[in-house]
Amino acid sequence: MKVPILTLAAVLLAGAAAAGGVFPYQHQVQRLDNGLSVILIPLPSPGLVAYYSVVRTGSRDEVEPGHSGFAHFFEHMMFRGTEKVPGAVYDQMMTAMGADANAYTTDDYTCFHLNVATADLPKVIELEADRFQNLSYSEADFQTESGAVYGEYRKGRTSPFEVLFEALQDKAFDVHTYKHTVIGFEKDVAAMPTMYEYSKSFFKRFYRPENVVVMVAGDFDQARTMELIKQQYGGWKPGYVAPAVEQEPEQKAERRVDIAYDGRTLPILAVAWKGVRFDPAAKDTAAGMLLAELAFGETSDAYRQLVLEQRSAQRLMADFGFNRDPNLWAVIAMVAKEQEIPAVQAAIGAAVARFQAAPPDPAKLDALKRRVRYSFLMAMDTPNNTAGHLARYVALTGGIEAVDRLFATVDAIQPQDVQAAAKRLLTPERRTVAVLRGVAR
Amino acid sequence: MSAKARPSATAAGAMMMAMFLASAGDARAQGEAAKPTQLPNAPVLLPVAADPTVSFRIAFTVGAQDDPAGKEGLAYLTGALMAEGATAKHTYPEILDLLYPMAAEYDVRVDKEVTTFSGRVHKDNLDAYTTLLLEAVMQPAFAETDFARVKQRTVDFIEKTLRYASDEELGKAALYNTVFAGTPYGHLNVGTVAGLKAITLEDVKAFYRSHFTRDAAVLALGGGYDAALVGRMQRALAQLPAGQPAPVAAPQVKAIAGRQVVLVAKPGPATAISFGLPIAVRRGSRDFYALWIANSWLGEHRNSASHLYQVIREARGMNYGDYSYIEVFPEGGRREFPPTGVSRRQQLFEVWVRPVPNAQAHFALRAAVREVEKLAADGLSEEQFKLTRDFVVKYSLHFAETTFDRLGYALDDRFYGVAAPGDLANFREIVPTVTRDEVNAAVRKYIKPEAMVIAVVSEDADKLAAALAADTPSPITYSTPKPPQLLEEDKTIAAYPLHVSAGSVHVVPVDQMFAK
Repeated sequence: MKVPILTLAAVLLAGAAAAGGVFPYQHQVQRLDNGLSVILIPLPSPGLVAYYSVVRTGSRDEVEPGHSGFAHFFEHMMFRGTEKVPGAVYDQMMTAMGADANAYTTDDYTCFHLNVATADLPKVIELEADRFQNLSYSEADFQTESGAVYGEYRKGRTSPFEVLFEALQDKAFDVHTYKHTVIGFEKDVAAMPTMYEYSKSFFKRFYRPENVVVMVAGDFDQARTMELIKQQYGGWKPGYVAPAVEQEPEQKAERRVDIAYDGRTLPILAVAWKGVRFDPAAKDTAAGMLLAELAFGETSDAYRQLVLEQRSAQRLMADFGFNRDPNLWAVIAMVAKEQEIPAVQAAIGAAVARFQAAPPDPAKLDALKRRVRYSFLMAMDTPNNTAGHLARYVALTGGIEAVDRLFATVDAIQPQDVQAAAKRLLTPERRTVAVLRGVAR
Repeated sequence: MSAKARPSATAAGAMMMAMFLASAGDARAQGEAAKPTQLPNAPVLLPVAADPTVSFRIAFTVGAQDDPAGKEGLAYLTGALMAEGATAKHTYPEILDLLYPMAAEYDVRVDKEVTTFSGRVHKDNLDAYTTLLLEAVMQPAFAETDFARVKQRTVDFIEKTLRYASDEELGKAALYNTVFAGTPYGHLNVGTVAGLKAITLEDVKAFYRSHFTRDAAVLALGGGYDAALVGRMQRALAQLPAGQPAPVAAPQVKAIAGRQVVLVAKPGPATAISFGLPIAVRRGSRDFYALWIANSWLGEHRNSASHLYQVIREARGMNYGDYSYIEVFPEGGRREFPPTGVSRRQQLFEVWVRPVPNAQAHFALRAAVREVEKLAADGLSEEQFKLTRDFVVKYSLHFAETTFDRLGYALDDRFYGVAAPGDLANFREIVPTVTRDEVNAAVRKYIKPEAMVIAVVSEDADKLAAALAADTPSPITYSTPKPPQLLEEDKTIAAYPLHVSAGSVHVVPVDQMFAK
């Protein structure tokens, strides 16, 4: 068998981008009549192609009570086959292709991805189009898969971070579905075997062309691929029903939750604020992302003080991430000793206060802007990495134009914009503090 | 494991080390001049002219196996401090500031036999990055404050994270430490709690001087570098002190007497299971690729094609996944494809059963052992063989899609003495020529499941120990309906003999794990 050896994407950063944009590859976007979006990104990767199906549904869309974790569970069911290609046959075909095939679920989307040889692309299009339109499984298979999902829940429970986030989100949100984690509450996971009928309605409502984006990256013939996609997906009937996700009312006062972890761990402190909805053109989105790094990243004063000098925190991380609705912007510290929790919390508060009182050093902001840009571009090296890094933008906005928009917004951010975001958004009323402690039996 | 299957440690080991440190010929002669300008060992080079980034790896033949007794963790602390500490030129915070706008870093992996520094940078930042990397390797300051930080973090990692926050990693570590007990592989790469606490900063400095020598170093560069960079790196690294630390003999694994069980007692709702046995097969040989095919069929990592996965997860819904390995595979929960920089002269055949409910632990272990025994007895059918062989040829395309990853494979080739075109290419060139007979012969030769170590992490340790010793039947019940033929097979599994004797089951409280 002759299989080509990949050489690294050579045009990376080499100026193939559309004028002014940061995204390094030419690309083609089409929306089919039934609403399915198709993004084709040719890049030099001889013989390899990544095929991504991004369903714009995640744990955020689990609006019915008792169904937390269902989007993730449903991701598992997507591997159970169709009448034409039963699950076992699908698995065997993936094996025959040597496909690197998997899926994951997040708060805002579910992503199915395959990394295959270009020669197998037509077959992949046929198989993916089939399972997205004609998924079919028995109640027994459904119930068996629920056991695997419960196993995944159990696997995660040994991590104190999973326990922390479950309690933190539950405390911070009253009505929005960000109240639960992606894996879901245990009682809902345990009840999954009884939800066969519900699962069929879930597929009918969410697995529809208007709610899905197909992204192909790598070495392939664009015209032929688009034609095949139209052929295979063209008959897919629209019918997406957007869930009524209840918006969280403005938080009025600080919240606090203490969490007992069944095992030994260093204490973990989380200080989290309600963030903003992702909007690549909005200053708050870009300023928030930059603020997290400036205030708590590896070169921040807080990191230097807490982790490197005083060593009262063993780890300090901040993620002011991108979400469809305002989710938590969290600073997480693994605290070295129980009695140092108040001091670490005070230091995090002081760091916020510094950014509220004065704009950041322009040189530091410039260094961060360069870092963000290099970091994005260096990640765009293989078809799989490229599509993988774009998936969240695709899920949040339906396309990849958001990347260039966001970088343009980042470029325009001034020190006072960072200060303004800190002042307006990182207030005590918008804050939830969680402390997790180990209690070994 | 029989004495016959045991690798002849010293001879093979010395040969392998010699191959890793392949002489650069003329370079060695020059190296004897007053001021050497090249490393004695030829560099590993993977040029990709159009690549706008450069990938770096600097490997030293030093690792956890070189830790002195009572100072377990010394190699790790030394490597970690070089990568995460001050240099003669900059404090660690200054280094972070300098690397920050490049979105670059240098990382270290300290494994049993090899320590590798690695990083990747855009050519725009090449000069500044190279300077920082070389300072880290050549002029580490070993500052007291960095030492205290890294040491405490490492102790906490063992005492808190490994013991309590990841039962799966705990189970795997228990397996390795039991199989290799009494050998230089017998402790974690990061050391032991007592060993780490006993290490002083002076120990680190002395270890650096004696082990991070130019004779132990191999430089690897990939991507869009030019000859000037090779020259600069070579000239700089050639200034490291000369000398080759005393070679460490490959681990002489004690023959495992039947089924040995280590049960780590730790509270929790689920049970983690790993089991395995030493195998004397290494990359590059036809046996290796033959065994790879059999193992891929049995338990390809994170792949639903895995037979164990089909039996335990897909048909029975007992857990999240079930895999097997013929080379060490650290960070299995976080990575999809095999890592590099973990080259070892002695490997295990290893099965990983992800956490199952406590009540199903005995059944799950029986199911997994039974499948391994079936493979050992029957080998692969023609259909299974063909499908898996073709799968491996194509799937291996994903092992190293970037130059950075391929550079890691090229360094590993040097360690294992895999001839050009190397291990990755062998998956495309040797694997398609491997026959079913070779696969099944390799299985018979290496997979001898009658003697192996079983490591289990469970809060029901005492109860499970008694049940294992008595071979008590372990019927399984499901909350959901299952087909009749599966229920029939379950009866066989529930009574499947594991041949564990009472004297070969050892219960260890979790807080004693990795203590010393």
